[in-house]
Amino acid sequence: MAGSGTATDLALSGLTKVYGTNTAVAGVTLRIGAGEMVALLGPSGCGKTTTLRMIAGLVEPTEGDVLIGGFRVTRIPVHRRNIGMLFQNYALFPHMSVAENVAFGLQMRGLAKAEIRPKVEAALSLVRLGDYADRLPSALSGGQQQRVALARAIVIEPNLLLLDEPLGALDRNLRENMQVEIRQIQKRLGITAVLVTHDQEEALTMADRVVIMRGGKLEQVGTPEQIYSRPASRFVASFIGTSNFLRGNVAGYGGGMLRVSLAAGGQVLVPWPDDGRREVLISVRPEAVALAPLAEGAMPEIGVPATVQQVVYRGQTTHVHMQLADGEPFVAFLPNRVGESAGQSFAAGDKVSASWSPQSNWLVSDA
Amino acid sequence: MTASVLQATDMPTRRAVLPKWLAGIAILLPALAFLFTFLVLPSIILLSYSVLTQSESGDISLPLTLSSYQRLVSGPAYRHVVMTTLRVSVLTSLFASLLAYPLAMAIAYGKPLFSRITMILVVLPMVVSVVVRTYGWQLVLGNSNTGVLNWLLQLIGFGPAPVKVMFTEWAIVIASVHVFLPLMVLPLAASLGRINPSLNEAARMLGAPAWRAFLRITLPLSVPGLLAGLTIVFSLTAASYVTPQMVGGNRGLMLGVLLEQQINTSFDWPMAAAIASVMVAIALGANVGVEWLVGRRAAARLRRSRAR
Ligand SMILES: Nc1ncnc2c1ncn2[C@@H]1O[C@H](COP(=O)(O)OP(=O)(O)OP(=O)(O)O)[C@@H](O)[C@H]1O
Ligand SMILES: [Mg+2]
Repeated sequence: MAGSGTATDLALSGLTKVYGTNTAVAGVTLRIGAGEMVALLGPSGCGKTTTLRMIAGLVEPTEGDVLIGGFRVTRIPVHRRNIGMLFQNYALFPHMSVAENVAFGLQMRGLAKAEIRPKVEAALSLVRLGDYADRLPSALSGGQQQRVALARAIVIEPNLLLLDEPLGALDRNLRENMQVEIRQIQKRLGITAVLVTHDQEEALTMADRVVIMRGGKLEQVGTPEQIYSRPASRFVASFIGTSNFLRGNVAGYGGGMLRVSLAAGGQVLVPWPDDGRREVLISVRPEAVALAPLAEGAMPEIGVPATVQQVVYRGQTTHVHMQLADGEPFVAFLPNRVGESAGQSFAAGDKVSASWSPQSNWLVSDA
Repeated sequence: MTASVLQATDMPTRRAVLPKWLAGIAILLPALAFLFTFLVLPSIILLSYSVLTQSESGDISLPLTLSSYQRLVSGPAYRHVVMTTLRVSVLTSLFASLLAYPLAMAIAYGKPLFSRITMILVVLPMVVSVVVRTYGWQLVLGNSNTGVLNWLLQLIGFGPAPVKVMFTEWAIVIASVHVFLPLMVLPLAASLGRINPSLNEAARMLGAPAWRAFLRITLPLSVPGLLAGLTIVFSLTAASYVTPQMVGGNRGLMLGVLLEQQINTSFDWPMAAAIASVMVAIALGANVGVEWLVGRRAAARLRRSRAR
């Protein structure tokens, strides 16, 4: 597989799809750099597949444009866009052998038999299926079938690789292996790729950047690290991983820190560049939280008072579920070391003080 | 039976009933008896009639002879009828399959409402008797300028009564395609509906224009339905009587009509039996041939998937 080398960038501008009265995708604008892998992530029905299919040309946009390598392809039919695609159900041609499946795209491009053969062999050995060329797809496992589909998609040296929940039908272990394998091949060939998934781990593992979609719109775009540690909204923070939310009022600002007094009692410091808000919503990841016993009626200087409701041992961590004074839930993931379980010292009904470093605080919009 | 029932009630712990194979036969018996009495037996009688001799007085008895079959194959008039029957059946199934693909695709891929309506339109004519439908074709195809088609063509300036298809093979083909179309569309639509729609999309994404995706993916994968439809339409056309009788005339004489003539006009029972046997053989031949084709495809697939 001689890497095609000509990586192309992708731009979506105001992409919109309306079905009857239902707006599936509402004005999506996004730039994806050459050789970059971007994951579209979001709850069911948020328009991920529709967006991907508009890029592919399988769905005609109601409005907006798709630009590949700067060229507007919105009116170019599917078969002339030179895009590789992986489907959730693999979509291998059941009446053709593995080699014939991979050769199909090259035949459509009018290549001679002698040119096709070495390309097919190279593509199959890239996905480590060189020995399976003459099998029918039905004689392969799910993981092998998706690797054939990958070989079939990349052998045409596509400008773009689209993946719609490509690993959804595989079991967990195989899925992780395939995530790494697809990612490596995508990087090696430098193909620009768009991955649709509703598995957050998959998105974080595979993508350079993650796009969170909600109700047909982009909610947040960023690297996995940005999305996880700097979520823009309550929605993103709770969609990616688990998060605690604390309401509070800004009581002061100094040294680049907001001092926020919490609705549930107690106060925290939030590093923030400006002092523009009064009422804030703070997101805190459970693994950042430390717990300490708290005397009845006392108030922590920094942190929030809470009442333990349930302690769940989970192997690597112990989850301590608590309730705050204003009735909101709060959870801490305490790390376990073999021999000493962090959660052992707490039991249901205990009063505790939950605290964390200011850097773990992040303000999110309440939507 | 009685014994086992007694046993079963005496010793409720033991499930000693009829042996499985015997029970199976007992259940099948009524159907088998029916088939034997009304299919196997008449077939044997029919086949035997076709190789017996009919005397001047009309009695059918020994000696055994193949003369009826001989006349059927070597007599130019008879052979012509056999060839007409085969030709009409082949043409009918071919044209029916050409017309059926778009309809079946509309049913299989169309939006639910559109698909339903197409389905109803395809199936609806089946509730009207073949006789009525064929009579309709008599009116449409009539050779004089009162035939609807001729009348229309004349109206738009093709001169008086330009087409003369009535009482030819083509009239039978046209009417038969109409009559048997649903039987081609239904298995085809079922077959198309079973094809995973993303296969076509995958082909398109790999660079196939719609027509190439159809030829390379949809068509080959719909072959089981196509073959089923071809077999049904071919067999039924070859065995048909009403349609060739009503629109075929003498130039479009088919085996079914010939058979009726042998019985009601010539009173030649051995010949009629021979014709009936040939008709059965044609239908059987089509079925066996298709079975064989399907089997060979399956075997080839199996061989290939085991190739390594
Ligand atoms: N062909 C269609 N006709 C009408 N509505 C559609 C069609 N395709 C999608 N929709 C609607 O558009 C919205 C977005 O669908 P889409 O398939 O893009 O969601 P998704 O994010 O891929 O969801 P999932 O995670 O469940 O696959 C949904 O409300 C869906 O019902
Ligand atoms: Mg989807």
